[in-house]
Amino acid sequence: MSHKSFSSFEMAQSQFDRVAAWLELDGTTKDLLRWPMREYQFLIPVRMDDGRTKIFRGLRVLHNDARGPGKGGVRFHPQETIDTVRALAMWMTWKCALIDIPLGGSTGGVICEPHNLTLREQEQICRGWVRQLHRDLGPQIDVPAPEVMTGAQHMLWMLDEYEALTGKRVPGFITGKPVGMGGSVGRLEATGFGLVFTLREALKELGILPEETKASVQGFGNVGQYAVRLYQQMGGKVICVSCWDQKDATSYSFKKESGIDLDGLLNITDRFGGIDKKRALDSGYEVLPGSAWLEQSVDILIPAALENQITEDNVRLIHPRVKIIAEGANGPTTSEADQVIKERDIFLIPDILANAGGVTCSYFEQVQSNMNYYWEKDEVLGKLDVKMTAAFDSVLELAKKKSLSMRDAAFFIAIVRVAQASRDRGWV
Amino acid sequence: MPKNTKKSFPGNLIPFDRQFFTGKEKFTLIGRGSLGGKAHGLARMREILEAEISPLFSPDIQVVIPTLTVITSDFFDLFMEQNDLYEVSLSNQRDEAIAQAFQRAELPAQLVGDLRALIAQVHTPLAIRSSSLLEDAMFEPFASVYATKMIPNNQLDPNIRFRKLVEAIKYVYASTFFRDAKNYMLATKHTSADEKMAVIIQEVVGSRFGNRFYPQISGVARSYNFYPLGHAKPGDGVVILALGLGKMIVDDGIGWSYSPAYPQANPPYVSISELLEQSQTEFWAINMGPPPEYNPIKEMEYMLKFSLEDAERDGALRFIASTYRLRDDKIVYGIAEGGARIIDFAPILKLELISLNTMLRALLKSCEEALERMVEIEFALSLDEKKGVPARFGFLQVRPMVVSEANVDVSLAELMGARVLVATESAMGNGVLDNIWDIVYVKPEKFSPNKTETIAAQLEELNRKLGASHEPYLLIGFGRWGSSDPLGGIPVNFGQISGARVIVESTLPEMNFMLSQGSHFFHNITSFRVFYFSVPHWEKYTIDWSWLKKQQAVTETEFIRHVKLPAPLKVKVDGTTSRGVIYHD
Repeated sequence: MSHKSFSSFEMAQSQFDRVAAWLELDGTTKDLLRWPMREYQFLIPVRMDDGRTKIFRGLRVLHNDARGPGKGGVRFHPQETIDTVRALAMWMTWKCALIDIPLGGSTGGVICEPHNLTLREQEQICRGWVRQLHRDLGPQIDVPAPEVMTGAQHMLWMLDEYEALTGKRVPGFITGKPVGMGGSVGRLEATGFGLVFTLREALKELGILPEETKASVQGFGNVGQYAVRLYQQMGGKVICVSCWDQKDATSYSFKKESGIDLDGLLNITDRFGGIDKKRALDSGYEVLPGSAWLEQSVDILIPAALENQITEDNVRLIHPRVKIIAEGANGPTTSEADQVIKERDIFLIPDILANAGGVTCSYFEQVQSNMNYYWEKDEVLGKLDVKMTAAFDSVLELAKKKSLSMRDAAFFIAIVRVAQASRDRGWV
Repeated sequence: MPKNTKKSFPGNLIPFDRQFFTGKEKFTLIGRGSLGGKAHGLARMREILEAEISPLFSPDIQVVIPTLTVITSDFFDLFMEQNDLYEVSLSNQRDEAIAQAFQRAELPAQLVGDLRALIAQVHTPLAIRSSSLLEDAMFEPFASVYATKMIPNNQLDPNIRFRKLVEAIKYVYASTFFRDAKNYMLATKHTSADEKMAVIIQEVVGSRFGNRFYPQISGVARSYNFYPLGHAKPGDGVVILALGLGKMIVDDGIGWSYSPAYPQANPPYVSISELLEQSQTEFWAINMGPPPEYNPIKEMEYMLKFSLEDAERDGALRFIASTYRLRDDKIVYGIAEGGARIIDFAPILKLELISLNTMLRALLKSCEEALERMVEIEFALSLDEKKGVPARFGFLQVRPMVVSEANVDVSLAELMGARVLVATESAMGNGVLDNIWDIVYVKPEKFSPNKTETIAAQLEELNRKLGASHEPYLLIGFGRWGSSDPLGGIPVNFGQISGARVIVESTLPEMNFMLSQGSHFFHNITSFRVFYFSVPHWEKYTIDWSWLKKQQAVTETEFIRHVKLPAPLKVKVDGTTSRGVIYHD
């Protein structure tokens, strides 16, 4: 994983530039869309459990809100940078536009290592992050959500702080809340299931039966776990998953040729998605280097960890059998690797489509919260499936019509929509 | 980009492409599991209808399988497993408790998107129908065992339509484990745990008339008629037609019955007033009006009965009714004159406005050839409001009919004698039984029309005990078995008496019952080869009550007795003469 030389934001901008050129966007629109509209960088002093005070850096970037309030996650990660957050905010804009929900794109984060923080310390970071930003957050402005290493509990602390500051109950302030506290059923499953809905459509397009396929998954967090569950229910076999090992500070791949036992693995997985190596060995898994997930003889690869995972350096290790890559993570594939994938005629479901289930369900949660109402799970997942499938169909149709890659077609649709909204508002 | 290549799906059917009415395919699948008996039957007939029947009768009759998609049985498995429903399902909980547990459960994630897409574009009534796997595997009809729920599907809000569809599917799933179904299973050597369910989501054939939706005609046609009248032969078959939804025929046992060989012959009746009394006076329709009380676990939530006056106001009687003219005591075709209406389908059957009968004969023949046995079909028709044609004929179901062809002779002399327990000239079935050691009968001195529901409950309990030990029995009672009106007979469903291999329905002097002659359980009787005796008290052949009383009871309640005999009964039924006799040792 090389975070030093790689710039997510540069990659996001180059993706935009390429499509903007095809679209022949005017200069002003390009200037507006290739940069965030607002950025916040601030400090959060936190009294640690040992009595010392530590200063954390907080971030929030709103890329564009022409189509509606900003929407995006809050990441807790030691290697968080403004560069990554900008890229993620931009991708959120495209994702919301592609899936056609009335939201803009934003992302935030705190540079911290949650593995080394107590829950009380994490709570203080959450509350501090909201105190710094609350004037520019809210259901009509910008709506945070969980992301890497944040979850329902973090969202609830943030909501509580916001409500304390504003003196109101505002459940639509944030999404990813616990069910029963304004959260939506189906939210946990949404990103992973949404990915599999698009994967299902891709398999149909290629004329492949799910039960005849094998998959390898990078990342065993929320997205990976639920993607595996639904894919297995469809009849597919997952033979390899990889995850980060906090203790060894490296990643491992866990392989079982006969197919992994999801519930068995979940029993030996920590809350960050780390699998207990020893117990996995005892359960008959091969424990391989973290990069091994990419090299497996499978039909489907699901990168569902972090950005910049399939690169120029390793793309040629992808097994010839692979037919589909479904990007569960944001920006897991570099532009150079993308080119190789295209040449190999692998069907790639781009991140802004494949992992849009999370933000779609967040939107559903926000609608329910704003109405102070709830939907049943089948209603939520039914709507999610329809949205994801419709978006997949429109991307595929455009890709075929204009001989574009799926990624370019997805960006094409999204950028056209955001550019149009900006023009309609008279911004450009 | 790689090309799309089609892979085969069960029955070479096409997966649902989220275009219900607008898609090219009108018979699609969601899932890759089994279709179940009902859907399988329709799939087998699909090509035959298109290639052989439809061209012959077009353009006057458009013969179709109404647009449908089948949720295959793999989703049933997933639903049961994901929601841990087997424990409650196989328990002795009440049907309502099981249905509620199913309503609380969630449909599988990969199913709901298709349902949501379907409902977004469909605003007309839908029938959510069961299609059982055992029915398919056994090639036997499980008629009326599992639920069908009709939903109006006309709410403006797609969220509400979606919810109603989901509730209906869960209800049909739950009906797999209802008490009736479990009892029924006792007669099949299976248990409910073996059963799996596919679900058919199908357009309802018919038209909307204000706040109701119904077909002008629904019907059942059978290859074999156990009660041929006049010149008709059993092999000519029988057709029963009714106004409105087919529930009137299947559950209420009311309709216009005729032989396809003699469509113009009226059923026998003593007087016109008797005909007026016996013909259809009400009909079933889907309620499209203000929603009823919310009750997702009620099969009839959206179904209502209406009167013939309502149908006449709708303009639905024009091609299906005649009128009784009081001034000369005659029946005249059509409804041009004022007077009592008789739903006799005369404009179609006698004036041949449309060649429905010819088409039904052709259809029965094709179905028999396809299934290689006698069949029963269900259908519905909507007619052009002004001209009657073109008519849209919806083919709803085909089931095998089990008809014994063994040659059994029962002479008139055999109906009399000291060892005769029961005899009749109105028996259904054909064959000989000599393995009945048990008799369950309703005590004639205790029977009261006001107690029929209590009697039904006691019979169910006894049936369960005898069924558990696989002991077939002779059942004797009064009034119409399976009557929906408790005052008209004992309101059991077949599951509650599923262990009975011979059923006798009788009357008592102080009661003026019409006997059902097996109409409520017709499918069950034929499929399980149950012998059915109608023994009205006024006939010369009756039941030897005094002999029965002398037998030692194993179990006795206030209303019923269970007798176990030292030697088996001998039961003979002659299907060609309808004579039947039961001898004791």
